[in-house]
Amino acid sequence: MITKTFYKESKELWRDGRVRITFTIVVLLLGIAVWISARQYQNINEQHQIAQKAEREVWDNQGEKNPHSAAHYGTYAFKPKYPLSLVDQGVDKYVGTSIFLEAHKRNEAQFSAAADQTGLSRFGDLTPDFILLFIIPLLIILLGYNSFTKEREMGTLTLLKSQGIVPWKWALGKWTALFFPVLVITTLLFLITGIVLSNLKDFGVFHWGSLFSLFLVYIGYYIIFINIVLFISLKASKSGIALVLSLSVWILACLAAPKAASNIAETKYPYPTRQEFASNVLKDKQNGLDGHNPWSKESKMLEQEVLAEYGVDSIHKLPFNFDAYRMQKGEEHEAEIYFKHYNYLKEQYSKQSNLYQSLAIVSPYLPTRFLSMAIARTDYTAHWDFSDAAEDYRIATQKFLNTNFAENSSYGEWGYKADADFWEKLPDFDYTPPELNAILSTNASSLYILGAWIAISFGLFLITTKTI
Amino acid sequence: MLRYNFKYELRLLLRSRWIQILSLILLVLFGFSTFNGIEKVEKRKNDILTAKQQVKESDAAMLKLLDSVERGLEVSASPWTIPTNPMNVGNHHPRVAAMEPQPMAFVSTGQADLFTHYIKPTVSGDDFALNFTEMTSPVQLLFGSFDLAFVIVYLLPLLIIAFTYNVLSAEKEQGSLRLLASQPISIRKWVFQKLILRFFWLSVLVILSLLVVFFLIGVEPLEWTSTLSLLGLTICYMLFWFALAFLVNLFVGSSAKNAVSLIMLWVIFVLLAPSVLNQLGNTLYPMPSRTLMINEMREHKAEVTKRQDEILDNFLRDHPEYAINDTTQSRNFYHSYMASQKVVKEALEPIVSSYELQLHKQQEWSKKLQWLSPAIVAQESLNQLAGTSTADYEDYRDQVIGFAETWREHLMAYLYNNKPFGQQDYSSLPNFQFSYASNTTMGVSALVLLLVAGALLVFGFAVQGKSQKRGLLSN
Repeated sequence: MITKTFYKESKELWRDGRVRITFTIVVLLLGIAVWISARQYQNINEQHQIAQKAEREVWDNQGEKNPHSAAHYGTYAFKPKYPLSLVDQGVDKYVGTSIFLEAHKRNEAQFSAAADQTGLSRFGDLTPDFILLFIIPLLIILLGYNSFTKEREMGTLTLLKSQGIVPWKWALGKWTALFFPVLVITTLLFLITGIVLSNLKDFGVFHWGSLFSLFLVYIGYYIIFINIVLFISLKASKSGIALVLSLSVWILACLAAPKAASNIAETKYPYPTRQEFASNVLKDKQNGLDGHNPWSKESKMLEQEVLAEYGVDSIHKLPFNFDAYRMQKGEEHEAEIYFKHYNYLKEQYSKQSNLYQSLAIVSPYLPTRFLSMAIARTDYTAHWDFSDAAEDYRIATQKFLNTNFAENSSYGEWGYKADADFWEKLPDFDYTPPELNAILSTNASSLYILGAWIAISFGLFLITTKTI
Repeated sequence: MLRYNFKYELRLLLRSRWIQILSLILLVLFGFSTFNGIEKVEKRKNDILTAKQQVKESDAAMLKLLDSVERGLEVSASPWTIPTNPMNVGNHHPRVAAMEPQPMAFVSTGQADLFTHYIKPTVSGDDFALNFTEMTSPVQLLFGSFDLAFVIVYLLPLLIIAFTYNVLSAEKEQGSLRLLASQPISIRKWVFQKLILRFFWLSVLVILSLLVVFFLIGVEPLEWTSTLSLLGLTICYMLFWFALAFLVNLFVGSSAKNAVSLIMLWVIFVLLAPSVLNQLGNTLYPMPSRTLMINEMREHKAEVTKRQDEILDNFLRDHPEYAINDTTQSRNFYHSYMASQKVVKEALEPIVSSYELQLHKQQEWSKKLQWLSPAIVAQESLNQLAGTSTADYEDYRDQVIGFAETWREHLMAYLYNNKPFGQQDYSSLPNFQFSYASNTTMGVSALVLLLVAGALLVFGFAVQGKSQKRGLLSN
C-alpha cells in the first residue's frame, strides 16, 4: 500500500508541468548560489592569507624599537572563513573580519561586509542557506498542499474508501512521495558542496562529519514542514484554503517570528551603544591601575608591595625594570576590565538566545537556523570564540613584550630598544575553531527542540489520518 | 451595474467576515510594528540625549579645572588631561556628532540597526578608523526588524493575495459563473469592478487602521505631509499587487493555481529579485578588500613614524601661519604626531575614497535596477522617508568626517601657536549639526508604481478582450 501510493503520487507529481518547472528553478538557484559562495569563499581566504603574511612581515621588520612602542604599534588578527560557510553564511556578513591587537585596549572586530553594501543587502543574499531555509519549505508547500484535498475534490476519496484502504499506510505513502524529491534535492546539494570543498585548496577544517550533521538538521527541518503541510491538507476542506493556511504557517515561522523575536530580544536585553560601552570601560579604567601613571594611588600601592616582596628599599634596586613591571600589571588589570564588559555583552546575548529558543515553540525555523549556523561555524558564538582567542593572544603578546622590557632594562630607562630580531620570537596567532562534538553539545537544546518538533508534528499527522 | 456590485460586494465582505478579519489583522500588524519602531526611535533619542548630557557635565568640570589652572591653583588631575593643552581638549572633551532621527524614523529601521547615531571624533584619531557601525548582536541584524516597512512591503501583498486570488475562480468552482455570464456585463469588467471595490475597501481599512494606530500609540510629532506620502506610497504599492491579481484572475484557472502563481510572483519580486540584484551589484562592483587596506595603512604608518621630524619641518614650512605668532617655538610629541597624522591621511585618501566610489557605483546600480521589483522601490522609499537609507548614513559619515577635520583644525591652531586653551576659548569651540539631504524620490517612486499598475490593468483589458472570443465558459 505504502509503495503503491508512493509510486502513484511520484508519477503524478512528475507529470505535472508546474512541478517540473519549480523543481528545475530550485535546482538552478541552488547551483548558482553554491557557485557564487564558492567563489567568494576562495577569494576571501586568499586575501586573508596575503594579509596575514604581510602583517607578520610588518611586525617582524620593526627594527630596533622599544617593546612598549611595539605594543602600541600593535598587530592584527584576521578571521578566517570556514569551509561550511559555503552552505550557511550565518552572521558572517554582520561581524567584523579583523581585530586590532594593541596595548591597553581590547578592540572589537572591524569592517563587516554589510556596512560596505547598499540597502539591498538587507533583503538577504542568494546563498545556499537562503534556499535551504526559505525556498525548499515553500517548495514542499507547493508540492503537497493538495495531497489530500484533491482526493476530496475529485471525489476519489469515496472510491478509495470503498477499496478498504488502511488510512495510515495510504497517508505514509503520500508522505514518502513528498519526502523523496526533497531528499533528492538536499542530498544533491550537500554532495556537490562536499565535492567542491574537498577539491578547494587549503580547505582548512572541513570534515564530512560536519557536513553530514548539517544535512541531517535540514532533513529534520523538512520533515517538520512535510508533516505540517500534510496535516493541513488532511484537515482543510478545499485546496485553496489548505494552500493559504500552509503559506501562513510558512510566513509566520520563517519571516515574522524571527523578526518579532529580534525586536523583543532587543527591547528586553539591549546592548549598550558603542559609545556607551567605551565610556563604561573608560570609567572602570580610571578607577584602577594605569600602567602609564606612576603617581596614582594604585601605582604607589603596587610599589610598596613589590618592594616588600623583594626586601629592598628602592625600586632602583629591583632586579628588573619596575616601569615595565607596572605596565604589565596595568595591562592585566585592563584585561580584566575588558573581560568584565565583554562578558556583560555575552550575558545579554545568552539571555537573548534563550528568548529565541522559547520562541522556537512557534517556529521550527529558529532552532534550524541556529543549529545550521553553529555547525557551519558562522554563528555568533563562533565569532565570540575567535575574538576571545584573539584577546588571549593579545594578553600573551603584551606579557611577552613587557617581560622583555622588564628583564633587559633598568628603572627609568625608557630609551631601551629591543633587538631587531626580537620580534620574530613572538609566536604566531594560531586559532582552531571548536570541534563538531563541542558545538553539538553546546547547542543541545536546539537539537532537542528540533527533535520535539519532528516527533510532535509527525504524531499529529499520523493521528489525524485516522479521521479520514 | 457598478452600484449593485458595490452594494453586494460590501454585503458579501461583511457577511464572510473578511472586513472584520482584515481590520483585526491590520490593526495587530500595524500596531506591533509601529510600537517596535517607536521604541527604537525613543532609545535612539535617549542615547543621544545622555551623551550630550555627559558632554555638558564634563565641560562644566573642564571649565572649573581651567579656572583653577588660570588662577594658579594646584590641581589633582593627571598632567595629560589638563585642558590648557588644546590636544587634551580635543581628545578628552570631544563634541557629540549626533544624527537626530527624522519624525518618520519609526516607519523603517533600514540601516539604523547597523550604523551608530552619534560619534565623538577626537583630534588624534584616524578618520578612516572611525567606527560607524553600531554594537548590535549580529543575529538581530540577520533577522531584521518587525517594522512598519516590513508589514507594508512583505505582508501586505500576501494579505492582498489571500483577499483576491479566487475572485473569478470561486465563481467558476461554485457554478455561479454561468449566472454571471448571463448578466449584461462583460466578465473582465465584472472582475475589474470587483477587484477595484476590494482595493477600495482594503485601502480604507489600511488608512483607517494606520491612523488609529498612530493616534493610539501616540506618534509625535505627526507630520501630515510625511504621513500622506506614506499612505500614498502604500496605496500605490497595493494597487500594483491588485493589478497582478487582476491579471492572474483573468488568465489562470482554478483557485489553487491562482494562489500558486501569485505566491510565485511574490517570491520573485520580494525575495529573489532583491537578493539577485544585490549579488550582481557586489560582483560587478566588488568592494576592495578591507584586510588588504589594513596592510597598506600599516605600511604607511610605519614609514611615517620613521620620518616624523622631517614631516614636521615640511608641515611648518607649508603652514607658516601656524608658527607665526609663536615666540617659544617649542615642539613636543603632539606637534610631530599631528603633522604625520595628516601625511598618513593624505596618503590613504585614494584608498579610502575607492570604497566610497564602489559603494556609490553599487548604489547607482541598485537605483537603476530597483524598478525591476516594486518591493525594492517601496522599501527604498520608506527608508528615505524614515531617514534610514544607506545614502542618509553615508551623508552622516561625510558630515562627521568634515566635522572631525574642523575640530582638529580649530585646536591645531592653538597647538602650533603654542597658545594655551583658556576659559574664554570655550564658547568658540565648533559644534556639529546634522542636516538631512532632501533628495527624496518618493513622489517618482509612487508615480512609477501607479503607472506600472495602470499598464498591467490596461494590458489585462486589451489582451483578455482578444481571447474572450474563445468563450469563458467553454472549458
